[in-house]
Amino acid sequence: MRHVGRIELTAAKPAELRTTSSKARTPLVVAEGVAKTYRTVSGGNIAALRAVDIAIGEGDFVCLVGPSGCGKSTFLRLIAGLDVLSTGRLTLAGSPLVGASPDVGVVFQSATLLPWLSVYENVRLPLRIGGRRDSDPGRTQRLLAMVGLAGFEDKYPYELSGGMQQRAAICRALARDPKILLMDEPFGALDALTRERMNVELQRIWLASQKTVLLITHSIGESVFLGDRVVVMSQRPGRVLQDFRIDLPRPRTFEQTTSDPEYLRLVREIRALLDSTGGDEA
Amino acid sequence: MSRQDVHVREQASIDLPAQAHAEDRLSLLGRRNRILLTLAGAVVLLGLWHLSVVVLQVPPYILPPPATVVSALWNGLHVPLMSPVGFYVPLASTLYNAGMGFLIGGLLGILLGSLMAEFRPVETVLMPYAFALQSLPKVAIAPLIVIWCGFGDSSKIAMAGLLAFFPLMVNTFTGLRTVDPALLDLMRALSATRLETYRVAKLPAAAPYVFAGLDMAAVYSLLGAIIAEFLGAQQGIGVTITQAQAVTDVATVFAALVLLGITGIVIHTVIRAVERSVVHWAGRANA
Repeated sequence: MRHVGRIELTAAKPAELRTTSSKARTPLVVAEGVAKTYRTVSGGNIAALRAVDIAIGEGDFVCLVGPSGCGKSTFLRLIAGLDVLSTGRLTLAGSPLVGASPDVGVVFQSATLLPWLSVYENVRLPLRIGGRRDSDPGRTQRLLAMVGLAGFEDKYPYELSGGMQQRAAICRALARDPKILLMDEPFGALDALTRERMNVELQRIWLASQKTVLLITHSIGESVFLGDRVVVMSQRPGRVLQDFRIDLPRPRTFEQTTSDPEYLRLVREIRALLDSTGGDEA
Repeated sequence: MSRQDVHVREQASIDLPAQAHAEDRLSLLGRRNRILLTLAGAVVLLGLWHLSVVVLQVPPYILPPPATVVSALWNGLHVPLMSPVGFYVPLASTLYNAGMGFLIGGLLGILLGSLMAEFRPVETVLMPYAFALQSLPKVAIAPLIVIWCGFGDSSKIAMAGLLAFFPLMVNTFTGLRTVDPALLDLMRALSATRLETYRVAKLPAAAPYVFAGLDMAAVYSLLGAIIAEFLGAQQGIGVTITQAQAVTDVATVFAALVLLGITGIVIHTVIRAVERSVVHWAGRANA
C-alpha cells in the first residue's frame, strides 16, 4: 500500500506542473519526506506523519483529506510553525520554514476570536502583534467587506453566528497579506446548510484574494467542490496516497457542480480509495 | 467529535441571543418579586427579634431591641463628618487601611500568580509555600503582624493585604493556566512574544477569574483590617466595636455590624458592576 502511494505521488507531480490554469504554478510550499514523531507521556513514540511529499503551487487551492488522526492537522501545524518536524524538508517560497511565518495565515477549526475584542479589533490583531504597526487602516475594512462582514466591525464575537465568526477568522488570517492560507477544518463545527454557503463564500474569497490555500477537511464533497487538487492521505502514520486534479469549471455552484458527472466520479473515486485504506470516514 | 456534538454546538450559538433576552426579562420580573420577598422577610425577622426581646425579657446588654440598634446607628451617623464620636471617622480609617491592603496585596497577588503561571521554576519553588500559607488560618498571623508593624495603620494594611493576596494569587494563576490552548496556538502562529501573549490573550482570558478573586479579596481585606484593629489601634470601626463592648453598649456593636454589612454589600455591588462592564463577554457563546 505504501508502495502504491509513492508511485501515485511521483505520477502526480508532473501533472501538477502542466496545469490548465493561466496562473504561474511555481511551487510555493514544498514538503519533502516530511515526518513527525510524537513522544507520548509514557515514553513511547507515535509516528504521526511518515515521509510526506507535497508541492503546493502558487495560487493553488489544495484540499487534504484523510481518515481521522491521519496526521493532516499535524502537517498543517508544521507549515504554521506550531510544531517542529522530525525529519524532512519544508520550504516556503524556496526558504526553509522555521517557526511561524508572517507569510502563513491560519484558520483554525474553531474561530478562536478573542471574545473581548470587537470584530474589527480581532481582524486587526495580527497587525498589532510582533512589533507591527497598522500601516493601512483601510485594509481591515476592505477585508471585512470582502468576506461580507461590512457593518459588523463593532460587534463582538458572541453577537455573531458560527459562520460569521469563521468569516472573521478568515479575515484575520488574511490581515498580514500572507502567501498561503492554511485552513484546518474551518467549517467542521457548522451545520450542513451554513457549511455549503461557506464553501461558496470561500471560493469567492479565494478567487478575489488570489491566495494559495491549503484546506484540511473530513468532507470528500467539500474537498472536490473547493479544490484544484485533492490530496488523499493514508491512516496514521500519514503519507500521501494519491493526488487528484480537479478540473471542474469555476466559479463552481452547488446546483451545477455537485450534479456534474465529473464531480460525482471524483467523489466516488476518493471515497473508494479512503474505504480501501480502512479509515473510519463518514 | 461526533456529528451530533457539532449540531448541538451550532444550535447553542444560534439560539443563545434569543434565550438570553428571555432570561433577562424573566429575571427582571423575578427581581421585583425577590426584592419584595426579601423586604417582607426582613420585616418578619425584625418583628420576631422585637417580640422575643419583649416577651422573653432579654436584657439589653445581651440583645437590644431593633429600635435601640436603629437609634444607635442614627446617633453614630447623625454627627458632623469629622466628629471622632461618630461612625464616619472610624469607618473611613478602616476603609482606607482595607483599601490600601486590597490594592497592595491584590497587585502582589496578581503579579505572583502571573509569575507562577508563566514561569515553571517560579511555580516549582513557590507553590509549596503558597499551599502551606493558603491552608494556614491567616487570622492567626495577626498578632505576629502587630509585633512587626506596631499598632499603627501599617499593621492594618499588612493584615488586609495578606488576606487580599491569596485569593488573587490563586485565581490569577488558575485563570492563566486554563486559557484555551487554541488561543495560544493562534498567538504562536502570529509569532507573538511571550509578553504579547500574556497581555493580549492570557490576561484578558483570565479576567473572569481575577474578578472573582477581587470580589473575595475585597471582603477579606475588610476582615483583615478589623482583626488588626481588634488587637489594638487608635481608631477604626474595629476599635468602635471593642470600645462599645467594653462598656456593654451592645446596641452600638450591632449598629457597627450593620454598617459593616452595608459597606460589604456596596463594595461587592461596585465590583460586580465593574466586572460586568469589563468582562461583558464572559459566559456568552463563542463557538
